[in-house]
Amino acid sequence: MDRISLYIQEVTRRLPEKMREDISLELRSTILDMLPEDFTKNDVDQVLDKLGNPAVLASRYQDQPMHLIGPKFYDMYITVLKMALMISVIVSIVIFSTEKIGIIFESEASPLVLISKLLGEAIWILINTGIQSFFWVTIVFIIIERTVKFPDDTAISLSGKKWVPSDLDSIPYIPLKKKITIGEVVFSLFWPVLFIILYLNAANIIGIYQQDSNGLQFTTPVFNQDTLMAYLVIVIILVGLEVFGAIYKAIARQWTFKLAVSNIIINIGSTVFLIFIASNPNLMHAEFAPYMANLLDQSIQSINIAITWIKWFTVATVIVTSGIDSYNGFRKAKIK
Amino acid sequence: MTDLLAPLTTELRRGTLTLAVLSQLNTPQYGYSLVQLLEKSGIMIDQSTLYPLLRRLEKQKLVTSIWDTEQSRPRKYYQISNYGIDIYCQLKAEWEKMNEELRALLEGNEQYGSD
Repeated sequence: MDRISLYIQEVTRRLPEKMREDISLELRSTILDMLPEDFTKNDVDQVLDKLGNPAVLASRYQDQPMHLIGPKFYDMYITVLKMALMISVIVSIVIFSTEKIGIIFESEASPLVLISKLLGEAIWILINTGIQSFFWVTIVFIIIERTVKFPDDTAISLSGKKWVPSDLDSIPYIPLKKKITIGEVVFSLFWPVLFIILYLNAANIIGIYQQDSNGLQFTTPVFNQDTLMAYLVIVIILVGLEVFGAIYKAIARQWTFKLAVSNIIINIGSTVFLIFIASNPNLMHAEFAPYMANLLDQSIQSINIAITWIKWFTVATVIVTSGIDSYNGFRKAKIK
Repeated sequence: MTDLLAPLTTELRRGTLTLAVLSQLNTPQYGYSLVQLLEKSGIMIDQSTLYPLLRRLEKQKLVTSIWDTEQSRPRKYYQISNYGIDIYCQLKAEWEKMNEELRALLEGNEQYGSD
């Protein structure tokens, strides 16, 4: 097929049936008009070049937009997309956690393997949910873009109509420094959950690992599980409070005085508990010190001193970070 | 930066295209003859813009079209309609008004040197 016919085909195939024949005839006649009597291939190419990309020409013949989602609905699309992703992610995490929480306590497999497997599943579910939400929201907006007709091209605000200044009344004024982002909330939820999983399985997870022919083997736990379990009730209460704190943060969305107060109470609670548990002489597993002494070729005495140092250093670090966090809460609450 | 000048100039032209085209359609013209008419007046027109424009003007009832199949080559001729003439006159007046406003603005501006 010659280039002229090919070109015309490329333009018209992108056009609705009823326009095709007329445009095809007109284009051919125009192209032939632009060519000299005995035209060469070069002449044809020059003419076609003048007419340009057939896809662009075709799009100009139509009223259809050349984009998926245009400026009119884009802002609304982004907002809805963010909300949908946030909601679907939170719901997925909640459902996933409730389904799997039982498994953590009943499973026989090595906890480390278990946790990595669960984490893998969780990430996969999140990705899946995210993709689904993105897909459905996008498809809906693509359809909206092509069906809903508005008189002009200005962006539509969330209310579905043209933006007016009174729309600002429904938006809370939150200066950026004062705001609590979704990231922060998720972060605040993540640690208590991780902590309690590790806490309950500490004897099986937290310890010394040795590399041998079977891979990584767990040899000695660090903590005395019995001692840890004795404090279980308090730990659950504290974790519960932290979760509550995270939810409070999510709802309030910005730092208020009340929130800062709750925050500092929770922080003090956790820190006090930490000091309490740290001073329990039975915290460390009975075999931990001898094992380390053996491994590092030191006396048990020096190992115990080292452990005490590390222990209190950790406590001090926690006190400092809690202090900073509590102070920040108040500082942010004060911002006008 | 001549790279910027080209698209800015194109944008300027695009605004006057409809007026320019309508002004030449008192007598029937086909696509290519229109291109040549406009180019004679120095208006280099983007053809991938012109043909869809003619079609749109027809849809808006500003021009009418006929297929002439008598010549060796069938051609689609466009001509301005009565409604088109009406709109054209008003548009022309608008253009002249705008021209005056802009002229006053440009002349009153001594800062940019050579005017």
